[in-house]
Amino acid sequence: MQTPDTMSIATAQAHHSARVPGEAGIWIFIAGDLLAFTLFFVLIALGNGDQPQVFARGRASLDIGLGVANTLLLLTGSWLVAAGVETSRKGAGRAASRYFLAGAACGLGFIANKFIEWSHLIRLGASPQTDDFYMFFFVFTGIHLFHVLLGTVYMLVLSRACSKRPAGPERDRFVECGGLFWHLVDLLWIVLFALLYLI
Amino acid sequence: MAGAQGRDDHFRKSLRFCGWTGVVAVVAFIIGGMLLGGMIPPLLAPDDPAEVFVAKISEHLLAIRVGSVFCMISFALFGSFGAGIAAQTRRAELNPCFSYVQLLFTAAGTVVAVLVAFCWALMAFRPDEYDPTLVQFLADFAYFLAVFSVPVFGGWCVVIALPILMAKDGERPFPRWVGYANLWAAVLFAPGQMVLFFKHGPFSWNGVVALWLPFTAFFLWILLMSWAMFDATKDENVPSRFY
Repeated sequence: MQTPDTMSIATAQAHHSARVPGEAGIWIFIAGDLLAFTLFFVLIALGNGDQPQVFARGRASLDIGLGVANTLLLLTGSWLVAAGVETSRKGAGRAASRYFLAGAACGLGFIANKFIEWSHLIRLGASPQTDDFYMFFFVFTGIHLFHVLLGTVYMLVLSRACSKRPAGPERDRFVECGGLFWHLVDLLWIVLFALLYLI
Repeated sequence: MAGAQGRDDHFRKSLRFCGWTGVVAVVAFIIGGMLLGGMIPPLLAPDDPAEVFVAKISEHLLAIRVGSVFCMISFALFGSFGAGIAAQTRRAELNPCFSYVQLLFTAAGTVVAVLVAFCWALMAFRPDEYDPTLVQFLADFAYFLAVFSVPVFGGWCVVIALPILMAKDGERPFPRWVGYANLWAAVLFAPGQMVLFFKHGPFSWNGVVALWLPFTAFFLWILLMSWAMFDATKDENVPSRFY
């Protein structure tokens, strides 16, 4: 028979395993942002269906090496941020702080790489006005770039928070929300990368 | 002061009034902007020649005029709607700051929105006498006011979200998820700024990303915040509850 004590421990464990990472509210933001990007993905697919030649020509002009480099930067960032979340949960604030700083560096690398890619394309004479492919390319990667910028700032804030704030449920929540946001940005890029560079 | 300690029926009723003005604003916009005025779904297109603007407006003259009246009612109500949110935010603050910032955004947003209705009404005032490009300009101006104004309306959402997310448990004016929903709304308004760069396609002022997305998000956001004001005043024993 279970004593009240073991019962409450069992309930606490069940509660722990059912816990939503971060908090329920951030998932509203994530689901909402995914919904908006789903609309963007559908628009790219429709444009691709309507004007296959324009899209093929535009796609061929992109440097796939830069796209792959950016994908690797974000994935590396995701690994670093996940390691940071895990480390912070264990209470090692200073170590976690370094992971988030490294994650932010990946974000900065992504932004620098995008700058190189865009300025190269603009020098070749491409602009959002050129055709529908470049319109989608510049606008949607631009909106995504804004997300990367926000994610990078969030990582810098987390890096500071982990070295200053005491460990605890409040810091865990803040840190987990940051991790979730970063993974969202990563996920969106992988779909954008596939739709704009690969297909 | 009425009744038992801690009760403030006057505040509760006032906040519910502000919530209802949000609901009425949405209904008035559906009548004025959607069913009659042709604002959304858009009757006009930014790549039409000016003469087509005049022809379309002359054809729907009465509907656009009556629609403009309803739009004006709808947009003016943003003031009381936003003031209600600020009042609830103020109650959760020890010393006011974000509630003041919210009031400024409310005032700015209301002015910008009311100007949309002015432009829409003027566009249908005497389209045959104005130079056609002036009619076209008024339509452009109306849509620019509505969707190019991202920092005004998006900023408003952000300054509603911040005091919610920054507050401690039990001291929040609204639930945390409402804070996140406000951040989401701000993100959805953002593509509106694309209208400056395109005259056709999804990013122009009649497009799915720059018009439909921000407008849908905006009016659903109003309904959400109205609900949040109703929810905060459910308990009769306190002026409004915290989360």
